[in-house]
Parts: sequence; C-alpha cells; structure tokens
Amino acid sequence: MNAAFSHYLDVVAVLAKKDFKLRYRNSVLGFVWSLLNPLAYMLILTIIFSVLLHSSVPNYGAWILMALLVWRFFQVATSQSLSCILSNPSLVTKVYMPRTLIVLSSNFANLIGSTLEFVVLLPLILLLGVPLDIHILFLPVILVIEFVLVFSISLSLASLNVKYRDFSQIWEIALQLGFFVSPIVYDESLVPSNYQFLYSLNPITRLIQATRGLFLKHQLPLPSDLLVVLSITALFFVGGLVVFSILQVRFAEEL
Amino acid sequence: MSLMQVNNVWKRFRIPHQKRSTILEHVASVLAFEDKSYEEFWALKNIQFSLAQGESLGIIGPNGSGKSTLLKLMARVMKPNKGTIKTTGSIAPILELGIGFHGDLSVTENAEVYGIILGLSRAQMKRLIDPVIQFASLEKFRDTRLKHLSSGMQIRLAFSIAMQTTADIFLVDEALAVGDMEFQQKCLTKFGEFKKEKKSIVLVSHDLNLIKNYCEKGLYLLNGETAVFGTAQDAIRRYLEDMRSGAQKTT
Repeated sequence: MNAAFSHYLDVVAVLAKKDFKLRYRNSVLGFVWSLLNPLAYMLILTIIFSVLLHSSVPNYGAWILMALLVWRFFQVATSQSLSCILSNPSLVTKVYMPRTLIVLSSNFANLIGSTLEFVVLLPLILLLGVPLDIHILFLPVILVIEFVLVFSISLSLASLNVKYRDFSQIWEIALQLGFFVSPIVYDESLVPSNYQFLYSLNPITRLIQATRGLFLKHQLPLPSDLLVVLSITALFFVGGLVVFSILQVRFAEEL
Repeated sequence: MSLMQVNNVWKRFRIPHQKRSTILEHVASVLAFEDKSYEEFWALKNIQFSLAQGESLGIIGPNGSGKSTLLKLMARVMKPNKGTIKTTGSIAPILELGIGFHGDLSVTENAEVYGIILGLSRAQMKRLIDPVIQFASLEKFRDTRLKHLSSGMQIRLAFSIAMQTTADIFLVDEALAVGDMEFQQKCLTKFGEFKKEKKSIVLVSHDLNLIKNYCEKGLYLLNGETAVFGTAQDAIRRYLEDMRSGAQKTT
C-alpha cells in the first residue's frame, strides 16, 4: 500500500512536470507570455472601471489583480483539465493506474504555474503602493483550498468530457458566467441584499475576498468564512469523485 | 500456486447504432424519439485458464478474435462483465510502447515519464537512464527532441525502458514486430533472461515461431471463444489446421 502510494506520487510528479514543460515549451519566454495575460486584463479592467466608470474602490489596480490571480488559476486549471483524459488515451487504455492521477497532475502543473505568477507579480503590488506584511504568509492556505476545489470540479469535467465531447463548450460559457457572478470587477456590496446569501455561497467569491483581505486589508479570513468554503469544497469533492468513478468504468471503451 | 487465474471471463461491447458523443446529439435524439438501440457483441466468452509461476503463454488467433481484449482485461484496463481474473504477482503491461511519449520532450525526459508510468520509481529511473539509453543505442541523442528521431529509434527507446521494469508477469502485445534485426536479437536475449528468472510472459502475436520458442502454454482464440488451451505446440497446430481448411473453403 505504501509502495503503491509513493509510486502514485512519482506518477503525479512526472506527469505534472511533463505538462508544465510542454505548456511553457521549455522556455522562459513561455512563462513571460503567461504573465502578460493577467497584466493585460488588469490594465483593461482598471481603465474601464476605475477611469471610465469611476469605481469607488480605492487602489482598483491592486484590488483587481488579487481577484484575477485567484480567478485565473481556477479558470485555466479547470479548462485545461477538460481534455486531460481525452488527450492521453494510452494512459487510460494501455496501462493501469488510478485515473484520478491524470487529473491531479494536470491540476498540479497549473498550480505551479499560477503560484509562480503570484510570486512574480507580487512586486507589482508594491509598486501600486500596497505595503505587504506577515498576513501574506496565509496565502498558501488559500491556494491549497482553491486547489482542492479545482481538483474536485476537474474530476467531473474531465470525465464528463469523455462521454459528452461538447462539454468543453458548456464549461466555457459557465466560466464566462462565473467571471461575473464572482466579485472580480465589482465589489460584492453592490449585490442586492436578498441575494447576498446565495451569492456568498460561491466559493470563488470567498477565496477572492480572503485574498484581498490578506493583501489589501492585512487581515486573516474569518474562521466562519473558511468553514463555508471548506464545506462547499468538500461537497464538490464528493460529487466529483462520484461522477468520476461512475464514468471512468467506461473510459477504456469510449476512448 | 497459480500466478494468474482467469475464471469464466466474459466481455461484452455495446456498439450503438447511432453514435452520440455530444450533449446536443443526445438532446436531439430524445426530441426525435429515436430508439437507443445498440448491437451487443461478446468479445470474449467464458475464458478460463490459469498460469503457474514462470509459465509463459502465447495467445494466437485471427484478427478480431479477442486477443487484445483479453490482454487489456489482464492489465486491468477494462473490467470483465462476468468472471474474475486473479493475479498474485505484479504486472508490467506492454500493450503499447512509449505510453506518455511526447515529441517535444527530449529522449531522457521521455524515458523518465515512460519508466515511471510503467511502475519504476524516480530514484530507480535516475539510475537506469544510462543503461536504457545504451541498450537503445541512443547515446548521441540524449537531449534531442523525440520528434527528431526515426520511429524505429523511438520504439527502441520505449522497448529498452519497458525491459527494465520488474514484474512477475509481462503482458506483451505485438511489441517485437518493430526495430531492426540487431535490436530484435537484443530483445530476444532479454526475453530469454526473463525466462531464466522465472518471469511469466503473456504474448499476443502472429509470429508463431516466437510463441513456439518462448511460451510453454498456448491459447488459441476463435470468435471470442477458447478453441484450444494447452501446450503452445497444440494451439499452434490447431490454428494452422483451421487456417488451411478455412483457406480451402474460400478457394
């Protein structure tokens, strides 16, 4: 059992490394391109909402960057997980391993990429006049929670996409919707009060709030907030595992 | 004590009359009241045999007789609909060479990925990388991207890694039909070593001589059923007889 577990760790590590290398094509420039995306978004959204629409949020640039970093990991990791089973048929049909490892390693490659993005873009926040303090050490906790959330959703996505090949299109639309039902470009206080409860169930909302709290307000998230995120993530996790284990039985025949 | 026990294994495939692979197609078919009919096809029917430690099995039969399906069931890639397959040893599935290979990664990077997929640890792989590249005669191409190698060279790399895996049972699907003469000779020597070490090889192949040389047991499959399970010579003889009489019928 222990030997099997350590082998699974090796498999995840080597597949994630492969994914990561291919994504950035073994080049530093590849990584620079991936930084350009959140920067461009930040610039465009700041111009639209802060300059043109006069948003009342102070230091809009730093404020939106925090949300973009959280959102981007979620968006990129889940979208790329959609095809991880489909694009690796021989890992499914020619060799036996727990197929969850394929999803896990795809997510891991994205976690490394997103963490690097975070690290490289941190100085930018200083430039925008936000002092950093000890609270940012809590960021890994938020990233771990987000990772589990991403993994849970990816399990469903990757397996559903094997059965329904157009699931990726549906997820693309869902992500567009998700971008606007999360407080990325606007402050959550704008949401009407009778929708506040429903709105706050969105785990991404809470993760964005927590990240902004750490960086911009220098405060830790409330334990009750974390508890809500953790419970919802746990629900997604169980759901993802159930969907995946039902659908994976027929993977070898559908591919 | 048997190493592998295959008990009354049945495997069914469902082939839908209309393949629906998207949600849109599913919705459309429901709206149009299309029937969800499919063809049932038993790829394997009541397969039963067992292998002892160190015994090798050659699986033969015409195309579509269920050879590869049986190998996939043994590798646990698919589950039988009925029956069980019990194994007491570790399995090295070599159903395809170069699983996880990617043209844009270097020879050494690909070797690491494939070795670990086949069950080696990262530490073992670090140690084995030089012998593997040597066995494949690819010393000059360590850092070359895989896509710049000829397909024969790629297969050689893959096979060299596969030969490093340690397992009690090797499941091999037509893997030897590649590579030049010299390389094939190397592989046969390696197979001989496996036999000396009391490892079992399950070989699916159309190369009857290969099976005669390396397998004690033979399984001749015909339309998913066991035509013969016995010594390799028996299985091969019956297969050849059937082919001749079949050939006579068609002429």
